[in-house]
Amino acid sequence: MKNSNVGYKSTIDKQTLLLLGIFTILMVFFGFVEDSFLTNRSISSMAIQLPEMGILSLAMMITVMIGGINLSVNATANLSAVLAGLFVLQVVPQLATDGNGGALIVTIILVALLVGVLTGVFNGFLVAYLNVPPILATLASMTVFTGIGVGLTKGQTVTGFPDALGMISSQSVFGIPLPFFVFVGVSIVTHVLLKYTTFGFKTRMLGTNPTAAKFSGINNKSITMKVYVMSSMLASIAGVLIMSRTMSASNAYGTATYVTLTILIGVLAGVISGKGSVINVFITVLILQVISTGFHMLLAGVKGSAFFKDFVWGILLIAIFIINYFSRSRNKE
Amino acid sequence: MLKKTIKSNEFITFSIIVLLSLIIGIINPAFFSLATVFDVLRASIVPSIMAFGLLLVIIAGGVDISFVAFAALGAYGTHMLLLHYGYQGGILLYYIIACAIGLLAGSLSGFIITRFDVPMFDVSLATFTLWYGFIRFFIGSAKNFQIPEGAVGYYAKFITTVKDPFVGEAGLHISVIYVLVIGVLIHILLKYTTLGRGIYAIGGNKDVAIRSGFNVRRIILIIYMILGVLSAFAGVTQSFLSRHFEPTLFMTQNLDVIAAVILGGASINGGRGSVLGTFLGVVLMQLINRAMVLTGITVEWQELVIGLVLTIFISLPAMRDRINKKTRHPVEIPDEI
Repeated sequence: MKNSNVGYKSTIDKQTLLLLGIFTILMVFFGFVEDSFLTNRSISSMAIQLPEMGILSLAMMITVMIGGINLSVNATANLSAVLAGLFVLQVVPQLATDGNGGALIVTIILVALLVGVLTGVFNGFLVAYLNVPPILATLASMTVFTGIGVGLTKGQTVTGFPDALGMISSQSVFGIPLPFFVFVGVSIVTHVLLKYTTFGFKTRMLGTNPTAAKFSGINNKSITMKVYVMSSMLASIAGVLIMSRTMSASNAYGTATYVTLTILIGVLAGVISGKGSVINVFITVLILQVISTGFHMLLAGVKGSAFFKDFVWGILLIAIFIINYFSRSRNKE
Repeated sequence: MLKKTIKSNEFITFSIIVLLSLIIGIINPAFFSLATVFDVLRASIVPSIMAFGLLLVIIAGGVDISFVAFAALGAYGTHMLLLHYGYQGGILLYYIIACAIGLLAGSLSGFIITRFDVPMFDVSLATFTLWYGFIRFFIGSAKNFQIPEGAVGYYAKFITTVKDPFVGEAGLHISVIYVLVIGVLIHILLKYTTLGRGIYAIGGNKDVAIRSGFNVRRIILIIYMILGVLSAFAGVTQSFLSRHFEPTLFMTQNLDVIAAVILGGASINGGRGSVLGTFLGVVLMQLINRAMVLTGITVEWQELVIGLVLTIFISLPAMRDRINKKTRHPVEIPDEI
């Protein structure tokens, strides 16, 4: 997360080019060696899976941009899903039985977003007002959020939702599933917020140099709080998508890998304190999904094939470190 | 001297342990027994060994999440290799091979960090996913319960045993000695060697450390070698204690170990931390776990209680610093060097 500011402008463009290059090579490679890779079916299955990871990565990214981290993104997503699920099943069961799909989905989204705001305030309070290092604050809050969910559900998966819930992930427009459009929409909003608003400017300023930000009249605490609230709300949206895809809510979804993956995506995309590009994150998420689906198809039937992608991700990340190192040292010359 | 001791982080952690023990003991008198002590110690063995390695990384100002993967690679890799050759001997060969694997994996991470100037945390992300992927694709993805004949009884090798009215016979496992030996060695390394001073210096201020003539790259490489060896050692120990080898060993436990090191008074920003504190941090974590069972907090709410305890604990030093800042000195002065 520490990096030299020199030559930033040119390296970020290079990073986008590098990522696009990797993406193209992978698409061509898998397109050639695996006939079924570039079919509608495989593309739409990728488009259902990647939005969750993508939105969680954006949630992680904005906290990294102010020199923080949010280890609780996945716990927030799961807690939002669990609380929204319990709310519609137990508090307003008539919604679930009415067959009124629209009202049901709107209620779920609203409750999830409310949970997002509250969890975000919790994180933001610890980080901004109690000065707890973000990695510790969100490690603790991750346990708290998971703990609330586990306590309320007794560790069980919440199920029994009406079919209407599945609409979000089963609908598709022009053959592309709705969640992908949600991901694109969220990415555009985040991009605009970070790039073209004063909030975005202050965020980048805070990440680049908190002391300078403070002395130029920016309320660091308030910006930090807003960033953590936004991060949690993004996580809640991902939670609703997971809920709709699995037709259930549980605290166990993605606990072992999601958080690590979101940080990994951020690092691959070159997100550091003060700088981060939504476009790079977007491409990186596509790359990871292509690797995942591609090797899954290629190695179908091989024992443990699902884990080969983890290995490749690690190698890819190290390769990017090395490439970045050499492009950095060339810039210095 | 006394004042300094009382203000130290180790003493605070120790006081919390005593206080917590008293509370549990009052609620449930069965807690005050040698059996409990042995049980808490047994549960602390493996996390302590990993935490000692991680402590070096944290003092040097880094964070690592990949050490658990070193442990899994060392333990599971060694086991599947020896199983392949039909090894039926004792546990020593396991330790030797696993530590060699851990040394290699740690060196590789250390090399990438120092050669290509990448933050420790970022490299650990890559190696975390890389090694768990490697293990499960190239070595195996299923648990294995075949313990070599020479090591079958190892899980119940006790230094001493006591009769306990509540749990029957309880023993102090022999591997407590490892914790003692490794702890003393790391303590000596940190406090009485140039290398140790270098580690604190890097965590305090890297640029100053470089200018003071410390070879930062070499020090970080050595830290990662030690981390690799200790993690693999812990992995083998855990596998024999639980009598099975698994490819995803410790996969979700890295954050717990980080939390324990922090509970033990190490600073996440580097430059501060001790072996004794770290051990106490691990014991405190185990104690919190047991406290809930013994005081009757139901299973489903335990995670929330751990989370809240953790939240309060990490907020304390931050709040203390705020008060200190307001009342004493406008400039931050580190408590100790």
